[in-house]
Amino acid sequence: MTLKKTLLASVIGAAMTTAVLPTVASAETTLRMAYDADPVSLDIHEQLSGGILQLSHMTHDPLVRWNKDLSFEPRLATAWEQVDDTTMRMTLRDDVEFHSGNAFSAEDVVWTVERLKRSPDFKAIFEPIESVTAVDETTVEFKTTDPYPLLLNLATYIFPMDSTFYSGTAEDGDPKDEIVKNGNSFASANLSGTGPFTVVEHQKGNRMEFERFDGYWDEQSPGNVDRIVHTPISENATRVAALLSGDVDFIAPVPPNDLDRVREDEDVQLVTMSGTRIIFFHMNQERVDAFQDPRVRQAFAYAVNQEAIADRLMKGFATPAAQFSPQGYAGHVADLELRHDLEKAQQLMADAGHGDGFEISMMAPNNRYVNDAKIAQAVAAMLARINVTVDLKTLPKAQYWGEYDDRAADMMMIGWHSDTEDSANFHEYLTACPDADTGAGQYNAGNYCNPELDKLVAEANLEVDLEKRAQMLQQVEQTLYEEAAVVPLHWQDLAWASADNVNIEPILNVMNFPYLGDLVIEEE
Amino acid sequence: MTTTTTPQVASRWSRFRSSYLLYSFKRDLVAQLSLVVFIALVAVAVLAPWLAPMNPYDLAQIDIMSSELPPFWIEGSDPAYPVGTDAQGRDMLSTILYGARVSLIIGFGAVALQAILGVSFGLLAGYLGGRVDAFLMRLADIQLSFSTLMVAIVVGALVKAIFGGATFSAYAVPLLVLIIGLAEWPQYARTVRASVLAERHKEYVDAARVMGFTSRRIMFRHILPNTLSPIFVISTVQVANAIIAEAALSFLGLGMPETQPSLGSLIKSGFDYLQSGSWWITLIPGLVLVVLVLVINLLGDWLRDVLNPRLYKG
Amino acid sequence: MIAFLIKRLFHALLVMFIISVIAFAIQDNLGDPIQQMVGQSVPESEREILREQLGLNDPFLIQYLRFAGNALQLDFGYSYIFNQPTTEVILRHLPATLELVFSTTLLIVLLSVPIGVYSAIRPRAWLSRFFMGVSIIGISIPVFLTAIMLIQLFAIGVSWSPFPADTGWGAWLNDLITTEGGMPAYGRGDPVPVFGTWATNFASLEGLTYLVLPTVSLASIMLPLFIRLIRAEMLEVLQSEYVKFARAKGISLRRIYFLHALKNTMLPVITMGGVQIGTLVAYTILTETVFQWPGMGLMFLNAIQRSDVPLIITYLMIVGLIFVITNTLVDLIYGLVNPTVKLTGKPA
Repeated sequence: MTLKKTLLASVIGAAMTTAVLPTVASAETTLRMAYDADPVSLDIHEQLSGGILQLSHMTHDPLVRWNKDLSFEPRLATAWEQVDDTTMRMTLRDDVEFHSGNAFSAEDVVWTVERLKRSPDFKAIFEPIESVTAVDETTVEFKTTDPYPLLLNLATYIFPMDSTFYSGTAEDGDPKDEIVKNGNSFASANLSGTGPFTVVEHQKGNRMEFERFDGYWDEQSPGNVDRIVHTPISENATRVAALLSGDVDFIAPVPPNDLDRVREDEDVQLVTMSGTRIIFFHMNQERVDAFQDPRVRQAFAYAVNQEAIADRLMKGFATPAAQFSPQGYAGHVADLELRHDLEKAQQLMADAGHGDGFEISMMAPNNRYVNDAKIAQAVAAMLARINVTVDLKTLPKAQYWGEYDDRAADMMMIGWHSDTEDSANFHEYLTACPDADTGAGQYNAGNYCNPELDKLVAEANLEVDLEKRAQMLQQVEQTLYEEAAVVPLHWQDLAWASADNVNIEPILNVMNFPYLGDLVIEEE
Repeated sequence: MTTTTTPQVASRWSRFRSSYLLYSFKRDLVAQLSLVVFIALVAVAVLAPWLAPMNPYDLAQIDIMSSELPPFWIEGSDPAYPVGTDAQGRDMLSTILYGARVSLIIGFGAVALQAILGVSFGLLAGYLGGRVDAFLMRLADIQLSFSTLMVAIVVGALVKAIFGGATFSAYAVPLLVLIIGLAEWPQYARTVRASVLAERHKEYVDAARVMGFTSRRIMFRHILPNTLSPIFVISTVQVANAIIAEAALSFLGLGMPETQPSLGSLIKSGFDYLQSGSWWITLIPGLVLVVLVLVINLLGDWLRDVLNPRLYKG
Repeated sequence: MIAFLIKRLFHALLVMFIISVIAFAIQDNLGDPIQQMVGQSVPESEREILREQLGLNDPFLIQYLRFAGNALQLDFGYSYIFNQPTTEVILRHLPATLELVFSTTLLIVLLSVPIGVYSAIRPRAWLSRFFMGVSIIGISIPVFLTAIMLIQLFAIGVSWSPFPADTGWGAWLNDLITTEGGMPAYGRGDPVPVFGTWATNFASLEGLTYLVLPTVSLASIMLPLFIRLIRAEMLEVLQSEYVKFARAKGISLRRIYFLHALKNTMLPVITMGGVQIGTLVAYTILTETVFQWPGMGLMFLNAIQRSDVPLIITYLMIVGLIFVITNTLVDLIYGLVNPTVKLTGKPA
């Protein structure tokens, strides 16, 4: 890295308060990266979002983490055993130190889980955990209320925080461990984790600087990045231009319209993966009686050409879907096929007595998912072929979710990523019989309700035999497919791009948590 | 009745034929060309439903498999779509014709509203004077100091927020007429007021008042006709401005929805594809918009030179 | 004079009050800010708690009074999307917009005066006709379209060869209409920090290249207006009695044009200029959107799309303030140049 480039890196950013000129310019390896946004806070429990989890993987370590093939890799926990149906014991590393210098122990895990259970965003997914206790310095015991098969999935969300560092009261008199949304808590501005990077500077919305943590425990990690300068660039075209002009070394996401441009450029590399976020339409059975007839729903599913959308609108940047669960998930059914067949669709409509079609309203966001409004237009055009007249409205996401909560249209678009990387989550939020008290079916804008499936998923959630559990979840996907509960479109692909010498491929995964600690930048 | 009106019409016609207006028009090639192009554009826009190869609002006619086809002179084009297709597979030619129609409707509609508001306020302010005058002109001052486009953007954003994005899309045309009409009335009001002030103390107005005519009659029957030529000149410029304002609002996503595109929203939806090489989706509607506005402006320039009215400066 | 300023100050406060009331009244329609803050699986009960904490459930009047009370202490609240005081967010975006407006104004002044004067002095010269023709085309192209065309021509590049490339003249013509591309068309690049939140594009050659396309497109809409205005005013002055008299007295033409005529021309131009600076700010919304110039206009549009009510209100109030200040300054300058105008606050 030349001096000029390092200087440039230090002044990058729309506006900044101080230019920190690097004192050592030669031996350091610096990664200049640009995501579309920076984390909203340094408090990793403030929001459950991709941005915060990406930060967590840079500054903290989870107990276990996902591998590329969706298996678990030990991190701060080295071993785990199921003591009985509701108890799991985890052995922790004994050589780990926090950024503050405090030693990491089982107490920190207990403290962290208890804080997670207080976090508005995380408490729902940590509900199954009844208690955590430190058996000794390096052993923790998790107790769940009922048998719970996804405890390891949850462990990927446990990034132990420095309990000593966050204890006591801050200068303003508030406790250091309080979780404040959108405010100025101690934890939102100060961070001490066990991860490969420490935060040197955070100017919200502008620039973030990280430095490699000297005392990082993982000495096996191939990572050689000493410094990371993150400049969020929200505008797609600008972000791509910044990479192509050499202003940054690593960007994500890469917008579909620019994939070719990035692919063709000789100095940069593009990595794409089939993602796990499913984009689909709900058909509201409460608003439209016709949707209560499975034949009509099937007709809609047959009328939509997922491949055309993935190919023409998404430029191949999406994997056409016939179900919720992407490949690798327990509930994924390999032989569920796309069913675009216009004649069959017309036949089904005629059978249901709607050969002349009917009129429906449709809503979609226009700045939430990749090409969301254009996809909705295309679906509306496809439905016109079975004589369904669509009154389409597209809204900015800020207004869309209010309309979504009101179930304001007959068909509504939504994209969903399972927070637990597990198939049951899809059904619980999207197709379970809606129940305001339990929160089941919170996003079920179709009002589809099949109590049998609810029962099946509830049983699956108590089934510790993962093989058996997978079969149950596959049964759920199969039924949803047959009854055409929703119109699935595609899984939105993920794309990252970097300069040629930045070896990003090995550290990327479908969860979109780049493990930057392991990143290798080759000497130019 | 007919016997009395016919000669009058004929005399008007002959008066027009011998007028300076026609005389200078005959000698001005640019004005003639502009008028021809303008009439042609308006004609194809009005006749769009009959001329266009397909109906871009009818989703059943759109096939996504034929999206992003280039115009006929570029390799890979389809003769069925002479100027290509957009990202949804809509025929660009048809979409542009329909889009020009929407732009013209909003342009003329907004100017009609501006003129009604501006002329009435201008007449009132100029003729009544006093508090009414002070209030209306102060309002115009404030609005003009904010620049009309800024007012249109802010009002557009507010109206869209008040009605919600969904309702806004459904009534986009009348709402845009309202927004642009409300944003630009001060131009008319000031000009009309200035003319009224100039006319008010002329003898024919005094005569009318002495004869006992009502204020309203004096304003509309006597003063207004004398302010017509500046109003006419302003109107041409304002139509051009209103079309541009609509395009700007649509470009910012505060105007016509993409399912019912005007020229502005076509340019916007094509902008995403500029970098990837599909320039025609944005630049061809852009060209049509420029030509439309240009000929209106050229006609306005010519009119101003010929009629040479006293316009309010600034 | 002081009465005039006080009146203007009152004017400004009134404008800002009206803006804040309107913006406040419609905030519910702008969308739910809570949605922007929480993860998708957060239950409604948690959202309700947060809503209560942020005071979003209070009656309108209470919310407004709380806002107004804070606003008087220059505290306009927290931006939901940036999670920072709105004044800070705007101060950070202000320099980008001001630099764009400044460079555009510079370009307009440098070009419009000589061109306007020239085409008034030599109204029949072909160059004057050319300028007038180009200027009417300039007025007719919406600023965002100019921007898009500039991007296509100078950032992406156009290779077009309609003429036979094997002939010398054909190759030359092809070269002429083929553009390289490569001009920066997105964002500000790496502006050099000056102090505080102010980083400048004027300090480096690279920074200046980022300014070129946005400046040219923003100027494209105003430049023709000014050329036409200067030309018209100058023509009028040249026909006035005292210029004829001066000419008769044998004063050199150059002296007449640039000393006497131009001075009188500038009066209406300054008035118009003040109004147009405001218009320029409006047009920055369009220019910044196309070029992703990280200024206030782009920020405002994002705030609308993401229903960041405090930021929207602050932006509108600050822009209102800018308009009132520029208008006041214009009136003051006008008063200095033309002492017959009395600054009483009444329409002249």
